Amino acid sequence: MTKYFLLVTLLPLFGFLINILFGKRINSEKFSGYLSSFLVFVPFFITFLVFLDFISVPPESRKIVLNYFNWIAAGKLSINYSFVLDPLSITMVMVVTGIGFLIHVYSIGYMHGDESFARFFSYLNLFIFAMLNLVLADNFLLVFLGWEGVGLCSYLLIGFWSEKKFTGDAAKKAFIVNRIGDFGFMTAMFLIFANFGTLEISGFLGNIAGMPVNSVLLTAIALLFFLGATGKSAQIPLFVWLPDAMAGPTPVSALIHAATMVTAGIYLIARTSVLYALSPTASQIVLIVGILTALISATIALKQNDIKKILAYSTISQLGFMFIALGTMSYGVAIFHLITHAFFKALMFLGSGSVIHAMHDEQDIRNMGGLKNKMKITYITFLVGAFAISGIPPLSGFFSKDEILYQTFINAGILPYIIVLFTAALTAFYMFRLTGLTFFGKARYDENKVHPHESPRTMTIPLIILGILSAVGGFIGLPHFTGLPNYLERWLEPVFTNANRVIQLYKPEGHHAVSVEILLLILSVLVAAGVIYFAFKKFSKQERFEKEKGFGKILENKYYLDEIYDKSVVEPVQNTSEFFLWKIFDVKIIDGFVNGISFYVSRLSIDWRKIQTGIIQDYATITIAGVVLIILYFIFA
Amino acid sequence: MIYYTILFYVFAVLAVATAFYVVFAKNVIHSAFALFGTLFAVAGLFVLLNADFIAITQIMVYVGGILVLMIFGVMLTTKIADIDIHTKNLNRIPAILFSTGITVILIFILFTTKWNIKPQVQNQETVSQIGKLMLTTYLLPFEIASIVLLVALVGSAMYARKTK
Amino acid sequence: MEQTIISLKNFIPECVLIVTILVCLLADLIVRKKSAVVAVIGIAGLFVSGWFVIGQFGVKESVFFGMVVIDPYSVFFKLLFIVSTVFIILFSLASKEIKDSTHTNEHVYLMISLTLGANLMASSVNMLMMYLALETVSITSYVLAGYMKKSKRSSEAAMKYVIYGAASSGIMIYAMSLLYGYTGSMNIFEISSILSKMGGTNPMLVIVMVMILAGFGYKISSVPFHFWTPDVYEGAPIPVTGFLAVTSSAAGFAVLIRFFSVTFLKSTTMLNGSLQIIDGIRWTEIIIVLSVASMIIGNFVAVWQMSFKRLLAYSSIAQGGYIMLGLVVANQQGLTAIFVYLVAYMIMNLGAFYALIMISNKLNSDDINDMKGFAYRAPAVAVGMGIFMFALSGIPATVGFVGKFYLFSALIESNMIWLALVGMMNSVVSLFFYIKVLKYMFLSKPDEENSGKIYYGIAGYVLLFILVIPTLLLGIYFGPIVRFAEMSAVMFGLK
Repeated sequence: MTKYFLLVTLLPLFGFLINILFGKRINSEKFSGYLSSFLVFVPFFITFLVFLDFISVPPESRKIVLNYFNWIAAGKLSINYSFVLDPLSITMVMVVTGIGFLIHVYSIGYMHGDESFARFFSYLNLFIFAMLNLVLADNFLLVFLGWEGVGLCSYLLIGFWSEKKFTGDAAKKAFIVNRIGDFGFMTAMFLIFANFGTLEISGFLGNIAGMPVNSVLLTAIALLFFLGATGKSAQIPLFVWLPDAMAGPTPVSALIHAATMVTAGIYLIARTSVLYALSPTASQIVLIVGILTALISATIALKQNDIKKILAYSTISQLGFMFIALGTMSYGVAIFHLITHAFFKALMFLGSGSVIHAMHDEQDIRNMGGLKNKMKITYITFLVGAFAISGIPPLSGFFSKDEILYQTFINAGILPYIIVLFTAALTAFYMFRLTGLTFFGKARYDENKVHPHESPRTMTIPLIILGILSAVGGFIGLPHFTGLPNYLERWLEPVFTNANRVIQLYKPEGHHAVSVEILLLILSVLVAAGVIYFAFKKFSKQERFEKEKGFGKILENKYYLDEIYDKSVVEPVQNTSEFFLWKIFDVKIIDGFVNGISFYVSRLSIDWRKIQTGIIQDYATITIAGVVLIILYFIFA
Repeated sequence: MIYYTILFYVFAVLAVATAFYVVFAKNVIHSAFALFGTLFAVAGLFVLLNADFIAITQIMVYVGGILVLMIFGVMLTTKIADIDIHTKNLNRIPAILFSTGITVILIFILFTTKWNIKPQVQNQETVSQIGKLMLTTYLLPFEIASIVLLVALVGSAMYARKTK
Repeated sequence: MEQTIISLKNFIPECVLIVTILVCLLADLIVRKKSAVVAVIGIAGLFVSGWFVIGQFGVKESVFFGMVVIDPYSVFFKLLFIVSTVFIILFSLASKEIKDSTHTNEHVYLMISLTLGANLMASSVNMLMMYLALETVSITSYVLAGYMKKSKRSSEAAMKYVIYGAASSGIMIYAMSLLYGYTGSMNIFEISSILSKMGGTNPMLVIVMVMILAGFGYKISSVPFHFWTPDVYEGAPIPVTGFLAVTSSAAGFAVLIRFFSVTFLKSTTMLNGSLQIIDGIRWTEIIIVLSVASMIIGNFVAVWQMSFKRLLAYSSIAQGGYIMLGLVVANQQGLTAIFVYLVAYMIMNLGAFYALIMISNKLNSDDINDMKGFAYRAPAVAVGMGIFMFALSGIPATVGFVGKFYLFSALIESNMIWLALVGMMNSVVSLFFYIKVLKYMFLSKPDEENSGKIYYGIAGYVLLFILVIPTLLLGIYFGPIVRFAEMSAVMFGLK
């Protein structure tokens, strides 16, 4: 099957080309939608066959490098366009194409009647192409190419409805924040090339395997990659773009900003697990950032009223969980949570899309309520998702999240465990606030104007499939004490063998009684169940909404983070630059950290522009001044 | 030898002084006439360097040709002689500062560098040598110069042509 | 006599260009109105000349008594110039600004004259010849910059350009005379060997270097010799602006790189690859200063520009800064990187200028504000412009990324990581203004009164497509240009 593997990436690219070039001319929603979906399904099918091939061979030989052509050859640098097939990349490809396919199908219904229908599907296919390159690539440059490609698609899709006034800004913000992350990625790449003379991932990982633990170089590379990961996977401090990115169409939020693209950072760290295993310092930082992000964004989610914003903050928080797992060096667990999260978060986003669709673009949950009778399928599947993310057994989220809690407990200590448990409780709370306000109680909208109804079948079928997956997906990774096989761990094991070997060098295997694990499990289930009961009781009947006061207000305003970025970065910069300036110009209101940088750049730009007066005498003076100053510098230096 | 030195300084001072006048005069005609002095003085310097042919060419081409053409142009243009041209100096202080700076630097290197000075050659005939060089070593620059002139001609014809 | 004839044989491409200039001039006199005939003759002449240039590949010959050389280095640049001139002449046929000017077809043979000058700049090894070639390019550029006689801006641009150019080349030729006075030679190879023998440090040489940089630096719009650039770019017709940005500045690089790497490197060590700077002449440091200043000033000032032409002016100042980074490395790899970058630079800049011509033909403006919602009015052109903007900012999968990638990796291999970092940070800053253009085009709605669709002739789209294809294709599969650059970067072994 590997003979035809190139098709996996080529078909989505083909779909992109067809739709962008001829989509408008053909002007058939059926053609564009079904073609695109089909061209994502075939890759899934091929990969599935490869997967079957793989499980029939012994674990040691589960790695194939497919070399297509020599892409760059110049001097020392030689880079092949090659894919690596191993359990990790196959898992990722199946997640991307599988969930991608469902979301494509869903979009046929969701985007029905949009004037740029074909364009939307062409972008989706392009995204799948870029994402597959990212997860399959065998060298960092190709990974980076995919990394940039998914960023570009995300940019295009966030700004897809450009008539909405804020989508343009959101798209730009996302793009620029990611560039900061990319800067880290690129620098890491350059460091690797300068020191190891290769950009091949397996070659690099092989090279470093014998290096001492915690060397400065490896820690620097690991942290730079992590900077890239914080950009793409929306972690502190670069997470500000993700909530704004919800301005795009909902299927985009589900596909790119929940299930696939944002997990690229997790994939990157898992792929280079040896590197992080060799640098406990970097892993420690990953852990801390993960915990902080999970906690902070979960608290923000408590008081949000926009259905998609809640899910966005929840995504950031869950990504934080994955980074916690990575920080505790339990790479397989992170991938496990990545998979289950992809199921239930895609499910909930699509469910929210179904709700928004039915409510005629209303997104404020205070104006919903009582939808459970009007849209049964959406309600039931959404409820499954909410239980899954809250960690109610035996749904998928329960297994993956508890594995993370357990790993935190044994690897990081009691305090981090308590914080993470608390965050998990918050998750259950805001999810049931969301569910309660949306589906229960009385209708708080004008029933004469809005008539909610169940969505068409192209939308509900993906919901049902994802609902089933969210429910049973956890059984691929059962905890040890059950005595049943943990399929996922066994499957992924060959990928992380090297990392585990490194970890064992400096960290003896911890032995914890099975009873501890069971105890923790029961504790977390009790907490989740209690919180759910409380939240449900409180919110399913709430009809009035008062203005938030005190801490609630702080949460509602997202800790004033945008404003803090303003005050801490933008304003000092402003003040200092004003100090040097002879003229003050009207300050526009700047939103967020990113705009702060762009503001600073434009500020400098304005000042320097003044040199360009248009008077030739000035130019001559400055030129001569330049000559004299350079000469003086070189004579005296 | 003393006469040589005296003559050199006479021509040099003349060249610099008239050049100053060219820049600072407020009347175009005055500027043009001052330029005559500058070019003439430079021709004198060429003579002192035994470059008689170049000296004559300098006078014939610049003084006899270009300068006369310029003065004609100025005089034929209505009223241009009366216009008080804008010679206000901008950035006086920085300009003075940096020009002085570069002058000091140049003077400094003029005196400190060990120049590659060729022994003086007495009164050789230069015309035939120049002719030979023009057709051998400097053939290409000579020809390319003609292309430059062609371009300049086309350009000025293009600007001078009446707009329809 | 014999040498002259041998020299002429190696000089056929230039001779063809001269003949083309003359034939065009005569044809213009016969046709006496705007006509594509002259342009066709010009392009045909360029093709013939280009064919002969390709024939020179691999030749290493010093011709016309050590005035110019034919080597892979000069062949690379000649091909670059000829290709870009063909495109620029095609652009000028499409440009409304040129069409509306009162002249007939002068621009065609003026452009070919500029190409001739540029070719000579790339192949000169004698200071006199370098200066003359530079002046050929300059004088032609002055005339072309003022091509729209009716436009005040255009005339003003030409005037400023003349004054600025005269001052800069005055400084340069003074320095050259000092260098001649010191070494007694005008051939750069001889100068190099004389300087290598002398040894010891000499402040005079540093001063000479900086002053010569003033002359070359103004051609490549390097800070602080860049002041003419925005004004002239803004005033000149767009095809001419594109020509200045591509050919004129690439020619500046050709002569600058050759002059500095031959004159101020030890001649004995040149052949074995490891290059050594002549004692006491730290010219790479000067280049670092100018390069960093150019990148920073170019990119930062561009952010606030609302005139597209001015934006591109600052962008090309910054791009010049990147190219100079390759010169800092001063070895084979750096030179290869420069060549790769120059090819990329040519393609994406030609594309950007052509897209701008298409836009401003219909809008009669180059103000970015007027381009609001252009993507809704002419999607193909807007997408093309988007691709060129992405390429200029160095986003992967475009040819611009390839250029930057090679430059930065050359820097890193020479352990100049901090410079590579500065370059990268600058490319992040540059994203602000390149994306800004796209933001206006794609994300804002057009004004009510002019929101109609805009259509172009099929030829316009074809030309745009011809430029888009290599921008993307070479961004993914760039083996060929890298090999071409590597072959051309073999140089300077010739006395």
